[in-house]
Amino acid sequence: MVKPITSVVIVGGGTAGWITAGTLAARVSTQGHSPTITLIESPNVPTVGVGEGTWPTMRSTLRKMGIRETDFIRRCHASFKQGAKFARWATGKDDDFYYHPLVQPHQFSQLNLAPYWQAERQQASFSQAVCPQEALCEHGLAPKLITTPEFEAVANYAYHLDAGAFSEFLKEHCTQNLGVRHLQADVSGVESADNGDIKAVLTGQEGPVEGDLFIDCTGFKSLLLGGHFQVPFRSCKDVLFIDRAIAAHVPYPEEQSPIASHTISTAQDAGWIWDIGLSSRRGVGHVYSSAHTSEEQAYEQLKQYLASSVNDPEALKFRTIDIEPGHRERFWVNNCLAIGLSAGFLEPLEASALVLVEISAAMLAEQFPDNRETMDVVARRFNRTFQYRWDRIIDFLKLHYSLSQRTDSDFWLDNRHPDTIPESLKELTELWRYHPPWHHDFEHAVEVFPAASYQYVLYGMGFETRPTRAHHIDENRERALEAFRANQRAIEQLTQALPSTRTLINKIHEFGLQRV
Amino acid sequence: MPTPEILDPKKHKDLRVITERGAQYGENIHLSPVVADELRKLVLEYAVFLAKDEDTGRFGLYALLGFEPKENLYLTRSSWNASYVPLHIRRQPFLTGTTHKTKNDTQEGPSALVAIDVDSPRVNRESGERLFEEDGSQTSFLREMIRTLSQMMSGQASTQVFIDQLVEQDLIEPAKLDIQFTERERRQYSGLYTIKEERLSALPEATLARWSEKGYLQASYLICFSLGHIQRLVDQVNRDDS
Repeated sequence: MVKPITSVVIVGGGTAGWITAGTLAARVSTQGHSPTITLIESPNVPTVGVGEGTWPTMRSTLRKMGIRETDFIRRCHASFKQGAKFARWATGKDDDFYYHPLVQPHQFSQLNLAPYWQAERQQASFSQAVCPQEALCEHGLAPKLITTPEFEAVANYAYHLDAGAFSEFLKEHCTQNLGVRHLQADVSGVESADNGDIKAVLTGQEGPVEGDLFIDCTGFKSLLLGGHFQVPFRSCKDVLFIDRAIAAHVPYPEEQSPIASHTISTAQDAGWIWDIGLSSRRGVGHVYSSAHTSEEQAYEQLKQYLASSVNDPEALKFRTIDIEPGHRERFWVNNCLAIGLSAGFLEPLEASALVLVEISAAMLAEQFPDNRETMDVVARRFNRTFQYRWDRIIDFLKLHYSLSQRTDSDFWLDNRHPDTIPESLKELTELWRYHPPWHHDFEHAVEVFPAASYQYVLYGMGFETRPTRAHHIDENRERALEAFRANQRAIEQLTQALPSTRTLINKIHEFGLQRV
Repeated sequence: MPTPEILDPKKHKDLRVITERGAQYGENIHLSPVVADELRKLVLEYAVFLAKDEDTGRFGLYALLGFEPKENLYLTRSSWNASYVPLHIRRQPFLTGTTHKTKNDTQEGPSALVAIDVDSPRVNRESGERLFEEDGSQTSFLREMIRTLSQMMSGQASTQVFIDQLVEQDLIEPAKLDIQFTERERRQYSGLYTIKEERLSALPEATLARWSEKGYLQASYLICFSLGHIQRLVDQVNRDDS
């Protein structure tokens, strides 16, 4: 007899748990069949609160849940993120920086501007030549106007948000508007079925909670997938060395201080410092390799970084987080799927944590198994897809390190040692010495990082593509030069038209954005 | 920017206001703010839309007068080719002083709230209508202008309540204007919004009853109905251009 999936139990209530609950509840309810969704949250375990930076995908994730962007921005102290500025990654010098913006190069679906830019690379940085977003970020401008409808953009954007407030906000929406059942209880064990499935999770407060599908959102503990099912953890510390973080909430000097609308990532001797602007405060932290520096040294560098914008860095409350870079060998076993930190974690260099939650939840919702028999097929497909995605993210993060020309510490030298670079990345890097990255370099229709991202990082880091056949005489040269000019015009127009990020955030708090 | 001064029988004793219509008085605008109370008259001659305030993003109600900035198809030199002229146009150069109150504004009575934009090209000392009689009392012209102004002010408040209801019920949608003129280039206009007509009748019964009682339902249908005047404006453009 075919057993339909009628109940989903999510264990864990951080951002991963609530994003999964909201995505599933909004999606499944529109499809006619509606399994019950229960989220069990421990009243005693604090959430880790990582992932204050998102991807542009968050806009559709929120919209699909039926959330108003105005409410989200107000309640989660959110601001806009238009990409990342990487400082001191290439040479380590004071004036060394590049942008990985979220807007694609002009005409990116048809025309590869990289070879034409190479010919004139002295004129402007790659991102400055091919898209307007670097200029917007450097001017502190918002990616939209107060008249732009909710979730729509003038320049593509993501968010910086307060993860703790975000969880609370999602919880309220899921329980009040989407019919998610919320239990406050500590999971103490698992009751197995004959086929090895989880029949129920055992809780002190609510007794056994039965379900057809269990989602493990228990954070680093990985209570169900790692703990109960013993799925091995695949560390990638041999590729990505970073394993510790020191983080602090940093107040603005004044209430109306400007808000940076990009993540600032500043490389250090043995890691890098993130700097994320919310509407209410900044989130700043130093992630580093404990094999290459001491905790004291890491603290010292973080305080030095903060000294320019904070009167008394010593007075801030710092907290440390251990990071085990890597992921589980499989994510979906039997009737249990891990989403979030329970599936794995990487340094927040490209804000991959929340986007992985979003695309995991979206794939689950889109391919939601009808019954227990089809679940195994969906699970196999999920595992294949996400193994590929984790590999690509690891490659892409490593690219930031492998292209550096810094020689000032072992951390940077070790990062370029061939043994630490995945074969797949070596292969692509070799290819890109002669061919600029393009859509066909990537196998999957929906890549986590598109070819544009590789172009921005490669050419931002000073990488050179030198084709043996010269490109500059071919027929597309005129089109390319026109695209560069069009971009200059776009920069002039947009820097005139767009408000500062602080101004727009204030207006959203006062007037709200319209739905249309 | 207007320079409002609270009306003062002594200070403004000699001021006169020109009442003819014309582009030189700033009437060459393609959108005029209107209030919901005017809809019954407006919809006979104008297409009425919602549009966003550039500074706040909030919706307001507007009559469409032309297709390009500074194009007012209702205006030919000094005449306005419609039997009804929006309150916003007629009350010029008067405005309310409540938001621009000065410190020494101690005068009592309704005229204390009325201000005049002394920088308006309508305002002069040679020609036009006087504001005050020799004894300092208001002329019938000024009394009429104050009536027009107060009609507009009270209309603005109730219009905002009506628009807030439209927003709350998610009834506003972009008006897709894609116009093929004979002589001009084909143009698509964005920034104008209208009401999702088919969703009006789908409102919950309790809401419908309340909306009908408050007049929101009638106002909504009047706005939908008014869009027919766009074709009239297009025809006029085509006639004028040819």
